[in-house]
Amino acid sequence: MWCTKSAAERVYLVRTLISMSIYVLVTAIVSWIFAHRHPQGALVYLLAVLPALPIFAVIASLGKYLVEEKDEFVRTVLVQCSLWATAVVLAFATCLGSLQKYVPSVNKSPGLQNYWVFVVWFLAFAAAQPLVRWRYK
Amino acid sequence: MKNRLRVLRAEKNWSQADLAERLEVSRQSVNAIETGKFDPSLPLAFRLARLFEMTIEQIFTDDGST
Repeated sequence: MWCTKSAAERVYLVRTLISMSIYVLVTAIVSWIFAHRHPQGALVYLLAVLPALPIFAVIASLGKYLVEEKDEFVRTVLVQCSLWATAVVLAFATCLGSLQKYVPSVNKSPGLQNYWVFVVWFLAFAAAQPLVRWRYK
Repeated sequence: MKNRLRVLRAEKNWSQADLAERLEVSRQSVNAIETGKFDPSLPLAFRLARLFEMTIEQIFTDDGST
């Protein structure tokens, strides 16, 4: 399977894996600091921003892959998948916003928080790939 | 856009993977073009034409759908 991937795709997968690993690690560390060290002042804002930085790296990695990939069909599939993922995540964020405003218990639920938005985008992006490819069969 | 790619490939006795390798694209790309669900760009259409030693018009037919 690995050998059937283009050089650009292999580089993209490595870049994305590294960026996602950093995202998970930073999110875990920041969550631990908030839970156990109770930071205050400017440090709170700095810590809140840190998990968002690897997200730029993940999206930049996808953008670089779109430039480097020579197979135009693969590029088309990727663009469609990212649009599907964006649609899903915008719908998710809109629903979440309504629930947070009108259902007070949602704000206390750790499973329904805004920081899941990126995870939802990434999962939707992955899930869209076989579906989009299936449409071209 | 209709095309004769499947017939031309069969005449050469190439699999989709063989053609994909010659074009430096994925096998799924060849399949999507053959089924008419994905229209190749002009550069890829020229590469196909050169590979089969034909003109683009001899491979692809504009069905007027777009």
